[in-house]
Amino acid sequence: MASHIPNLNTLRRGRGRGRGIGRTEETGLSSGKDRIVQGTDNDASVSRLSAVELGYLEDAYAAALTPAGSATRRLPIINRGTYARTTAIDQLVARFLGPSSPENTHKKQIISLGAGSDTRVFRLLSSRQTPDFIYHELDFAVNTTDKIRAIRSAPILQRALGIDSSKVSEKDTGVTVSVAGDALHSPSYHVHPVDLRSLSTCSDPAGALPGVDTGLPTLLISECCLVYLSPTEAEQVVAFFTQRLFGHGHAVSGSRDSLQEVQSNGASLGLILYEPIRPNDAFGRTMVSNLAARGIQLKTLPRYASLEAQRGRFRDQGFGDGQAAADIEFIWKRWVNEDEKERVAGLEMLDEMEEWQLLARHYCIAWGWRERDNALAFAGWKDLEAQQGE
Amino acid sequence: MSDLDRAIEQLRACRLIPESQVRELCYKARELLIEEGNVVSVDAPVTICGDIHGQFHDLMELFRVGGDVPDTNYLFMGDFVDRGFYSLESFLLLLCLKVRYPDRITLIRGNHESRQITTVYGFYDECIRKYGSANVWRYCCEVFDYLALGAIVLGASSELEPTSNTGLSSMPIDDSELETEVLNSSGEVTSSTYRARQRSSSDASTDSRNISPPRDISAAPGQAAAPSRTGAPGTGASGDGNGSAVTSRTGAVLCVHGGLSPLIDSVDKIRLIDRKQEVPHEGAMCDLLWSDPDEIEGWGLSPRGAGFLFGGDIVKQFNHLNGLSLVARAHQLVMEGYKEMFDGGIVTVWSAPNYCYRCGNVAAILELGEDTSGGGTVARSNGEYGRSNGIVNNRVVSPGRRYRVFEAAAQDTRGMPAKKPVADYFL
Repeated sequence: MASHIPNLNTLRRGRGRGRGIGRTEETGLSSGKDRIVQGTDNDASVSRLSAVELGYLEDAYAAALTPAGSATRRLPIINRGTYARTTAIDQLVARFLGPSSPENTHKKQIISLGAGSDTRVFRLLSSRQTPDFIYHELDFAVNTTDKIRAIRSAPILQRALGIDSSKVSEKDTGVTVSVAGDALHSPSYHVHPVDLRSLSTCSDPAGALPGVDTGLPTLLISECCLVYLSPTEAEQVVAFFTQRLFGHGHAVSGSRDSLQEVQSNGASLGLILYEPIRPNDAFGRTMVSNLAARGIQLKTLPRYASLEAQRGRFRDQGFGDGQAAADIEFIWKRWVNEDEKERVAGLEMLDEMEEWQLLARHYCIAWGWRERDNALAFAGWKDLEAQQGE
Repeated sequence: MSDLDRAIEQLRACRLIPESQVRELCYKARELLIEEGNVVSVDAPVTICGDIHGQFHDLMELFRVGGDVPDTNYLFMGDFVDRGFYSLESFLLLLCLKVRYPDRITLIRGNHESRQITTVYGFYDECIRKYGSANVWRYCCEVFDYLALGAIVLGASSELEPTSNTGLSSMPIDDSELETEVLNSSGEVTSSTYRARQRSSSDASTDSRNISPPRDISAAPGQAAAPSRTGAPGTGASGDGNGSAVTSRTGAVLCVHGGLSPLIDSVDKIRLIDRKQEVPHEGAMCDLLWSDPDEIEGWGLSPRGAGFLFGGDIVKQFNHLNGLSLVARAHQLVMEGYKEMFDGGIVTVWSAPNYCYRCGNVAAILELGEDTSGGGTVARSNGEYGRSNGIVNNRVVSPGRRYRVFEAAAQDTRGMPAKKPVADYFL
């Protein structure tokens, strides 16, 4: 197998788009509904690029990860929402990773579910002094293939990964790509082509996600990802990480006779969710039916319809040390400081205040964690202001 | 059939008229609007409408519910364009109707009738997409500059004629008059309030009773809550306790898109503005189109970045000084279609149901009836009324208000263009 892994740079030279590379038979297995969910990634990347071009966000990688020709100026409320969502998750991630300095030797790990064209890993790699983290992205093969293709064709993305174009051998770059072009492995960044629903039945958890260090404090991120799975499937995905890959969430391990499992019992684990909420009022009902008309089903939304339901979800699913949630309106009001609010409000006239409030109240960020071995990997989350009530 | 009638027919079918005809229409409209003052006088009866925002099929529903032009006298409080997919069809139809029936339809300017805002919120793009150039956008923007900034409704009755086509009991309570009535789009009364008829001895209490909606509409969004309340939402206007009840002394109603301005303490000051320009970023004209009422005292900064927030004390004082009984305005989405604030001193009317095809709200229009009591005394619009005999008549009676609430036109008749993505969400 290893001999089939070609060097990333040699592939880049032959730009003749994807002969033999790319769409594997796995793509063929995707049902129509899956394809629609995969397509939601495009929507997110266009929104991100719009917010970047108007000055809401700084993100040098947004253009390289948005399909050419799809740039569209979004409405001000969408731009503001993209801003609030992105900066809030950035803040949670930054507090998890801790300060980037030579003194900070605590290596951490991030696993992004349904990462699609997300730029976060590139922003982190370029902004932190040392690669003090390992970043994994999981998505359908069709999406990871697109991403790896984008990396191949954008020097700015390669530079962020530390790929020096003067070095041609695989050893020098440390980056390998699968022959199908849908998986990428490097010391700090891994792209895994995986249907999350297949994880629960896989026999070899570690083998399913090569490069994952099950001993590191790990943060899972789901930005509008698990919401598309059925409640059972979504729960099984989370359980795959909390119970199988990173050991059982409780002190009583399932099989004491396996030394490996006992050792892996210790990883601290956190989860950040970004999802719609409140489907039962007039705006929420309209949202559900509008998205259904596009073939998009928010399958876990009825179960996790409120902030309280989200907190309970974390409690029930292995994040016993902390659970918190806030809607995007709260995040905008309380997490964005006044100077920054003024700067952002000055970028575009936001006429639709009532509509902004409606929209922003229907999305939430929820986060929860468990600590192991007194690692206190999530200590930085404790003083973040969360929203109380439903 | 004149070219204009043909254009109206075509636009009613949601088909655009040729660019040359738009140019001619806009030229005629400008000639007409230039003759109007900044504050247009409108006689009751009149039907007052809020934001439309290019939701053409919902505008058709509005006409179905409120009656057609010229049978019904309409006053539209701006924001005809942007956000919806049919700003051109909506605005050009309204403009055609204005030119065809100038005395039966009044259009005033909203903050979206502006070059700057339309380039952000969709009207500019729509013009380019549908006409292939910015010409039509330019013609329309020139019309925007001539739209009036406000209107004064005169001669509205303090008492509503009860709607007769309901099988429910709507017998007025003794010594009371029907003050507000809320109807659904089928014309059925869903709630109403009464107030004590003016007597020298009566106090300021408000009699109110509710009428349960018929079963078949009780589950309609936005109306389900209304019947369980005491009175219609926000209706808190009190009866008037001062003397002579012979003639109606309903005050005038000021209509503006946004609200009041700290630079404007009288209706006459609005008349002094040089309005024929792009909406400025600040100043009186900007405030009239951008401000919002809020539960504060005095004035506050607006989160919109233009205009101000103003409290109930400001509204009371402004109404009192100008002999007004009500300020009607639009500008803010309200889920129930209308919202009265400050003891009924101001009302927000919102006429774009399921705004942006996303918000799930109902819409409303406000009908003010004509005072037929024969008194002939009509409040003057220049702020003198109510001050002249100073001691007693310091309050004027609110007009009777009939709200017709309606929902978005049915999905299948809306004909949303398939290639345009529907409302944005975060995915």
